[in-house]
Amino acid sequence: MSEPGFDREWQLADLLDAASLDRLGSGLADLLGGATAIVDGQGKVLWGVAPPQARQEPLVVELEPIGFVASADAGPAALAGAARLLTAVLRAQIRYKMASTLHLEAVAEDFETLKRNHARLAESEHRYKQLSAELEKRVKSQVAQLEERQQMLYQAEKLASVGQLAAGMAHEINNPLGFLRSNLSTFQTYLEAVAKLGGRLGEGEAAWQDLDLPFIVEDGRDLLAESLKGIDRIARIVSDLKSFSNVDRASEEFTDVNSCLQHVAGVMAGQLPAGVELRLDLLPVPGMVCLPGHLNQVFFSLIQNGIQAVRDSGRSGEVRVSSAAGDDGITIRIHDNGVGMASEQLDRAFEPFYTTRSVGAGAGLGLATARNIVLAHSGRIGLESTPDVGTTVTLFFPTPK
Amino acid sequence: MPDYDERQLSFKLVYYGPAQSGKTTNLLRLHDLLSPQLKGEIMTMETQDDRTLFFDLLPLGFRAPSGLLIKFRLFTVPGQVAHDGTRKAVLSRSDGVVFVADSDRSQETNNGESFQGLAENCQRVGIDFERLPLVVQFNKCDLPSAVPEAEIRERWSAVPWPLVFAVALRGAGVEATFETLLRAVYRRHAESLELAGKHGLTEAAFVAGALGRP
Repeated sequence: MSEPGFDREWQLADLLDAASLDRLGSGLADLLGGATAIVDGQGKVLWGVAPPQARQEPLVVELEPIGFVASADAGPAALAGAARLLTAVLRAQIRYKMASTLHLEAVAEDFETLKRNHARLAESEHRYKQLSAELEKRVKSQVAQLEERQQMLYQAEKLASVGQLAAGMAHEINNPLGFLRSNLSTFQTYLEAVAKLGGRLGEGEAAWQDLDLPFIVEDGRDLLAESLKGIDRIARIVSDLKSFSNVDRASEEFTDVNSCLQHVAGVMAGQLPAGVELRLDLLPVPGMVCLPGHLNQVFFSLIQNGIQAVRDSGRSGEVRVSSAAGDDGITIRIHDNGVGMASEQLDRAFEPFYTTRSVGAGAGLGLATARNIVLAHSGRIGLESTPDVGTTVTLFFPTPK
Repeated sequence: MPDYDERQLSFKLVYYGPAQSGKTTNLLRLHDLLSPQLKGEIMTMETQDDRTLFFDLLPLGFRAPSGLLIKFRLFTVPGQVAHDGTRKAVLSRSDGVVFVADSDRSQETNNGESFQGLAENCQRVGIDFERLPLVVQFNKCDLPSAVPEAEIRERWSAVPWPLVFAVALRGAGVEATFETLLRAVYRRHAESLELAGKHGLTEAAFVAGALGRP
């Protein structure tokens, strides 16, 4: 402590300044008469002139005299009275000094405490700011990671459906390719026979019969007719595939959804498992502006679900696709009489990644993706199902106003 | 360290504790009970509804055989929570502390918080709390709602400080508390101040002088 504290040993000079000493001293001098002095604890005269052989009375505030009042002429009783008077003044003064000094120390202490608290608060605020910045960064990076993964999963789902489609297509194209190849190679041997006929033209009719050419001509016609049919089939499959593969062409077109349904059904017709029938009940509907590739993906995955549901039921059954136009929009229903869903499955059916299939059989994004696409077309998608009876998915696309 | 010069040795002793535990009452009773060579008036600073705002001060003193004046200045702190700054200022430079606790069971939390405050404030004003002469007084132990002495002793059995049980209003235990503190203060400083060797003061004489016993 540089400043002396409130609890210091207060000296007379600390308590009374020159002006107070002068006022008190002159008052006492008038009362006592004659030469009067106020002397401090060490015998130093603070006011007046100490006469030699003067009588002294001590001024005691605590235990020991901190000063004296001295007079040459006053009587002992008067001098004692004067000392009591001055002591009372000093006591009042010391109380005031101690209280005010203590008050200053307390204020300084409070201020120190405030400063300490402030520093602590500032530090913790800083820490919290850092923490929150870091948290924000981490949340951002995790959100980015999640988005990336989700994107990857969507991509994977799309690839999976494309893969299924490709497998079906390959099978369907392989069939005609098989008989085309066999027809053409047979036709090659037929041509050999015709070439031999060239060398035996002199033999006439006999050579014609001998080389079995009547049969060759007849069968050759059939082979070519069948091959042409096969080529037409492949051409139709390729055309369906082309319109289906609009998935990645994100341009809007004015399209008849019935034709989309027909394309998709056409693509799928060749890969229907045994015991599952696909039926279209399409009524004329007005054209609408849409992303045909995306709608094809929706129809494909809904029909695929229907087929799967029938297969899962273990019975033969059908998937029926119907369309109808109303005043306010187009309704498309995809109904199957397969296994159906329990209410718990129904509740979660649109949740991304919710699947009842075994791992690897599907990411559980089919319905979620379908809903996103339908919503993007301002449409609605609804699901009704009864276990062991069947499921109906209803799509509704409102007429633009 | 106590104030020490050729002429005199002055100890600052502080009565600390929660609000209305009886710190001022301790001083008032000591003033009545003790009769050392020198005894000043109690200086009571401003109060508000009988509660200490600044401090109370009781000066006591006696002369050692060597002629050295031994002074004790007993202070109280304001107990109310709001006056912590004042408490800290009064506590600074003290040479010994009496912690006056309130025995009433409902005051246990206040006692605990105040004692915690004492330890923290000591550290803030640069007093080595571990070596500070300290006596813990459980005042008002005659209250029907007071925690029984056995229970308090059990709970405080692990601490190094002496416990004294008191009823300050009646003066019981007040002098014993002060005497216990005097002995702790003597043991803490006797050697460095050469009280026995240079000034002819044994512990018994130190205590007797301060209390005014023959």
